[in-house]
Amino acid sequence: MNKITVLLTLLISSLLASCASNQPSCEGPQSRNLDSAISSVQASLMNGCVGHFDRYYDELLNIAEGDPKPENKRAFSEFLVWATDSGLLSKRQAEENYNRYFNVKFMSLKGDYNNCSHTCPNKQRVLMNMEQELSDKERGLMRVSLDQEGYYRADRLYQEVELVLEATCTACSAGR
Amino acid sequence: MNTRRLSFIITTCAAALLCAELASANTPTIRLFPTTVVEDLRQTGNVARDMETGLQEVIGQLDQQQQLYQESKCDGAENDAGCQRLARQIGATYLEMLTIMEERLPDMEHTVNNTRVSLEKSLRNELGKKMTPWTLQETLIGSSSTSTSAAAAPTLRGRSGMRLSERFKNYYQLVATSGAKGDQSLAVLASDIYLDMEETSTLIARTRQEIARATLMEQLNQSFGIITPEMMEVVGGVKTILFGDDESAAAVAGPPPGSIEQAYRSPLEQ
Repeated sequence: MNKITVLLTLLISSLLASCASNQPSCEGPQSRNLDSAISSVQASLMNGCVGHFDRYYDELLNIAEGDPKPENKRAFSEFLVWATDSGLLSKRQAEENYNRYFNVKFMSLKGDYNNCSHTCPNKQRVLMNMEQELSDKERGLMRVSLDQEGYYRADRLYQEVELVLEATCTACSAGR
Repeated sequence: MNTRRLSFIITTCAAALLCAELASANTPTIRLFPTTVVEDLRQTGNVARDMETGLQEVIGQLDQQQQLYQESKCDGAENDAGCQRLARQIGATYLEMLTIMEERLPDMEHTVNNTRVSLEKSLRNELGKKMTPWTLQETLIGSSSTSTSAAAAPTLRGRSGMRLSERFKNYYQLVATSGAKGDQSLAVLASDIYLDMEETSTLIARTRQEIARATLMEQLNQSFGIITPEMMEVVGGVKTILFGDDESAAAVAGPPPGSIEQAYRSPLEQ
């Protein structure tokens, strides 16, 4: 009986030990070169660190800010397409991650219902989300991709949406 | 007088021409400016112009009288018979100015309200009920999301201190030279005008009440030949409407457009 207990204990211990040694460290990329950093992140993601995707994405953006250029936009797009193809992200998640930072359009304005019934009752929240997204666009468009024109257009779009929503929502409430 | 009133007069004048131009130049896919709105705007613009013309002469007369009052060193010599006579003359001209405003404002109120109600209906139906936030965004951004020039859109907000008729002329030139506009400009334009009209309706109503009170006060003052500080304030406000506001400087120029070519388009882009 004792022998069996000892054997079981040894077996469990060895299993635990092997698990501990195989657990990925999920460290961030060490290189300051974006391509190398992306390769490193891809390896980590494939090695069981998918749960850290958001942190990696943020670190890659930090690295790209250190060497801003228009080509960075493509690098991020390709990275996200790779993540989708590898089954790490859904297409929707990839689009959200890309457009939030690198597109003029606001993902905060996604919605299937009309403005009077859905956007106007939540106008303040919608505008607040847009404002937060605008700061991400400043990072992605301006500080990572040097796309000043794109960022200024997004900024103007935000102001236009604010104005048009104010008028539209006033008109909607007057019609009730 | 509130300087904000200037903005609505300017806007309505500009919009009258602008919309007439747009209506004839291209037919928008969203119907924000049906014929009735264009007609209402044109009418409001005409009323505003008439008011400008009518007041300009009286204001000039008031300026001359006030100058004479100061040159005659009447400040502090209110009991002097000559100064009292001058003060009464100024008061009479001031009453004339109030009368002109009183005569013009009901017309203005009527056309402004008509325009407001028409635009309200258009905005509610076209942008409120027929669009989702995403389609509204796409309308505003136009078909080319990254290459739209910042200079292409007409900007009504941030009006500079400028003579009303001059401002009007500038708007007209802006419309005439910018060619056909897309729905994105119309949506912003309609919203801007509607919000102005909304505010203006309230302001006109308040102004009419104030005019009645100010007229009564001035009629009483006429007996004593007094120039009140309030009177000068009102005249100053009207001058601001006609000749522009010095404090509101021209809009600060936007940052320079980026020189980066927008060749790359991600397959993830929406």
